[in-house]
Amino acid sequence: MEKIREEIKEKARQALASKEVDVILAWEKGELWYDSYPAFFTKEKDIDSLVWDSFCVNNLSKYLLEYTMTDKKIGVFVKGCDALAFNQLVQDNRVSRDKVVLYGLPCSGMVDPDKVRTKNLNQGLTEIKKSKDKLIFITKDKEITVPAHEVYYDKCLHCRYPNPVTYDQLVGETVAAEGVLDDSVRFSGVKELEELSCEERFEYWDGQFSKCIRCFACRNVCPACSCKQCTFDDSDLEVLGKAREDSEDKFFHLIRAYHVAGRCIDCGECSRVCPQDISLEKLNRKLIKDINELYGEYQAGLDPSAKAPLGTYKLEDADSFTVGEKGGKKREKNSKR
Amino acid sequence: MSVVASSTSVKNVEEFEPLIVAFCCNWCSYAGADLAGTSRLNYPANIKIIRVPCSCRVNSNFVLRAFQRGADGVIVAGCHPGDCHYMTGNYYTRRRFSLLKNLLEYVGIEEARFKVDWISASEGNKFAYVMNDVLEKVHKLGPNRKLRDSRWKR
Repeated sequence: MEKIREEIKEKARQALASKEVDVILAWEKGELWYDSYPAFFTKEKDIDSLVWDSFCVNNLSKYLLEYTMTDKKIGVFVKGCDALAFNQLVQDNRVSRDKVVLYGLPCSGMVDPDKVRTKNLNQGLTEIKKSKDKLIFITKDKEITVPAHEVYYDKCLHCRYPNPVTYDQLVGETVAAEGVLDDSVRFSGVKELEELSCEERFEYWDGQFSKCIRCFACRNVCPACSCKQCTFDDSDLEVLGKAREDSEDKFFHLIRAYHVAGRCIDCGECSRVCPQDISLEKLNRKLIKDINELYGEYQAGLDPSAKAPLGTYKLEDADSFTVGEKGGKKREKNSKR
Repeated sequence: MSVVASSTSVKNVEEFEPLIVAFCCNWCSYAGADLAGTSRLNYPANIKIIRVPCSCRVNSNFVLRAFQRGADGVIVAGCHPGDCHYMTGNYYTRRRFSLLKNLLEYVGIEEARFKVDWISASEGNKFAYVMNDVLEKVHKLGPNRKLRDSRWKR
């Protein structure tokens, strides 16, 4: 990480100097130790403040949306999950590929500040270094080594795409995918819930949804939620009011999850940014699991020219509602009840 | 397929009168409802039919909104796959509502409350059967409280 930081800066400087791009989108250090926020660089001399550290978790691809209407050419650094997000935006026609130069950054995981805090590693923290699967927290007077998986974000622990799936130039060396998530692990949370009875499931989700404060962070961070006018913002539609009302919370979450069905890249950003810790990934993964089971394996964001599962069909498609008819899937869940 | 003319027996059990919203495709299911009517088949008056140009016109928002604003059950009925007036509409319906149905079940909404079915214009019998069937099941389940807006009044 430290090694390629300079490489990244050099790349950014060259790109701006040679007019390869007009703007560089990368990260900059904020005032706090865990603060690495997205930043736009237009001048070479500003590049000094560009950072690449263990807190660059923000997905930059979504920030490209603001540049879709301009003639500017933009260079952006993408991690594995950001590259999937980028492809998804291209597939949704929200970003044009030829206006963007992608610099791929292999990423082995990002550090969760909450986990650092619980371990009390943030006192006087100056730098975090990575050596193999360990992280060294360097403070003014000492160095503490911890296994990386103890402080990485949950969503990074089983990352399936640590290397960018698309890029123009790759910075640094590709990393091996560690502990790649197979579907039994990936969908274990969903399966656990499916085993429960209808009432238990409702109880679980009612508890989750009623925590929602409707801050819309999950929507705003989501690379699949890229509509110019969101149905939840349009008060004329009367889809959502301002009242604290359980049914509207449920409505919001069901529609949000359903709206990204087949386009969710499973990056886990929604659950990461949720201030109320709602397990949104279990909602998204249920839809992914169903799509995989009913309409064939599909990973959103791998191929921008692919057709989204809900935007296409096959004559022999199965469905989940006509029992016993051709292609109809047996409702084994019901028989248990 | 037997037609259950059970509306009278259902009504007398208790005072709960389910409200069912049925989104019917103009070309098949709505005509199916018509046939059921002209054939003098019984289907309950609790079913409120909303005519849509195609079953794929039905947005998942419509279904949730119906539940939110008083429906105890929702039915989406369209042409059989292959018979769509617009060639391909119901193929999209099939994918969309397969997912929505599973999603609603997943968050704990009783399976019987949301029904998607294919009813053609010649299937007056099936129309009456499906409506009676859903009504009966929803009646057993009782009023929908899970998705209903607490401010809603009948």
